[in-house]
Amino acid sequence: MKIDRAEARRIADLAHLEFDDAGLDRMAAEMTKILTYIDQLREVDVEGFEERERHVTPMREDEPRPSVDREVALNAREQVARNAPAWRDGFFVVPKVIGGD
Amino acid sequence: MTDLLDLPWTEGRADVSPREYVDACLRAIEARDEKVHAFLHVNADADAAALPIAIKDNIVARNMPTTCGSQILRDFVSPFDATVVERLRASGASIVGKTNLDEFAMGSSTEHSAFGPARNPWDLSRVAGGSSGGSAAAVAARMVPAALGSETGGSVRQPAALCGVVGFKPTYGRVSRWGLVAFASGLDQIGVVTKTVRDCAEVFGIIAGHDPRDSTSSTHDVDDYAADVSAGVKGLRFGIVREAVEQLGGEVRANFDAAVDVLRRGGAIIEEASVPSIGYAIAIYYIVANAEASANLSRFDGVRYGHRSERARTLDEVYFDSRGEGFGAEVKRRIMLGTFALSSGYYDAYYGRAQRVRAKLRHEFEEAFRSFDYLVTPTSPEAAFPIGAKTEDPLAMYLNDVFTAPANLVGTPAIAVPSGFNAEGLPLSLQIMGPHFGERALFRAAGFFENETGYWKKAPLST
Repeated sequence: MKIDRAEARRIADLAHLEFDDAGLDRMAAEMTKILTYIDQLREVDVEGFEERERHVTPMREDEPRPSVDREVALNAREQVARNAPAWRDGFFVVPKVIGGD
Repeated sequence: MTDLLDLPWTEGRADVSPREYVDACLRAIEARDEKVHAFLHVNADADAAALPIAIKDNIVARNMPTTCGSQILRDFVSPFDATVVERLRASGASIVGKTNLDEFAMGSSTEHSAFGPARNPWDLSRVAGGSSGGSAAAVAARMVPAALGSETGGSVRQPAALCGVVGFKPTYGRVSRWGLVAFASGLDQIGVVTKTVRDCAEVFGIIAGHDPRDSTSSTHDVDDYAADVSAGVKGLRFGIVREAVEQLGGEVRANFDAAVDVLRRGGAIIEEASVPSIGYAIAIYYIVANAEASANLSRFDGVRYGHRSERARTLDEVYFDSRGEGFGAEVKRRIMLGTFALSSGYYDAYYGRAQRVRAKLRHEFEEAFRSFDYLVTPTSPEAAFPIGAKTEDPLAMYLNDVFTAPANLVGTPAIAVPSGFNAEGLPLSLQIMGPHFGERALFRAAGFFENETGYWKKAPLST
């Protein structure tokens, strides 16, 4: 499978990754090499083997319950704030997404 | 004089106070880690404990950093303990530090750590393996008696092999991943690194068991995993995976043949086994693991935690620039491959097909385990390679996991146990694989092999 710059750009946009042109060309070349290796999977006879066979994650009952203990939860807000890149009045701050220019 | 940290944990802990044990570890880290770089964070205030332990820096511990070896999380401090950390603390263990790893556990050499590679204690110019290279190097260099790592495609067993220590991956679902930063959720499992098999079985017994916070965690009963480590291998059936070893030559082949002879002399029945699709494991792995990684790593968006680009002026720039600056080259490569494999027009040909070949591989393993109690291969196709040897060739790096990735894809347990040294004095390793939930029997076989050979007793010269 050959990945060119335009295809690499399409994937980078889907993945929310920023690359310059040189970086994108390098990535396209590396992906081509790796996908060429992976293409050997095309030769395998997979008749009778299904994609989803037994790879289903079991779900718990949809009942609300605490996932951490009370003491941790009480201190968590302060630590969440400390880990946040921008935080004000109990909210994460991001650049304006509506209106403006 | 034998240093406390040269002893197995199960023997050493009897003769020493918990305070002395932890202090001995902290002193050893102080003395040796400047060269080895096994640790990203050392807990100088570690509580006294009968089990001082290091954990890979993608497993969270309360009020300690969790960087995942990435710039994107360089300042992150966890508000809570992973389930494995809770269990360790409850059994009297103390976390003495967080170990170095390939960024987000993606790699086979720890060279993809954003904070510099861990080095192999047997030869500091060589890699420690990866991605749990820091955990393996910390145990090998006698800085801690045990460490936790994580596995997605061999990330505990391969570095353990390259560092000459025991590395173990449990059955998928046997250990809770709550608090393990997700890489590929359908493959990830927490594993154990120790000097000896008995130590490994004992530590595993602490962390194993059901946890409602990880919906894939098994309700299967926890066993007495160390019960049979001295029971021998007489009459047990070992299958040599033909397709894995037939093209192998040189020192790794000779060492593997000698290891099999040790089992044979112990009364084991040795025959050839066949797993025809095992050679496709790396190709399957780099689709399935990367596809899941591309979804899991979408959470690092510069909004709630982690690095945010200072030049971002719009929300899109927050996403693109924060991820572009925060992730290293290997992580981006894998996100790109995974995104491609899941993207419209390619899903069936790549992700769908990889899952179908994986189903076939699983079927072949199940068939093989009808005839055999164990399947054996070398753990790694080569001894520790020089730092820098494979960083420009991602595919060559990936192929280092050729013997370890199959067990992750089929969800079975496997253990790496030291099997001697090559001509340059670098460790080699035997891998023993068992059927789902066959951990106790795995420790039995590995325990026999270790007892007959005793390679763990040799410590790296550079310590």
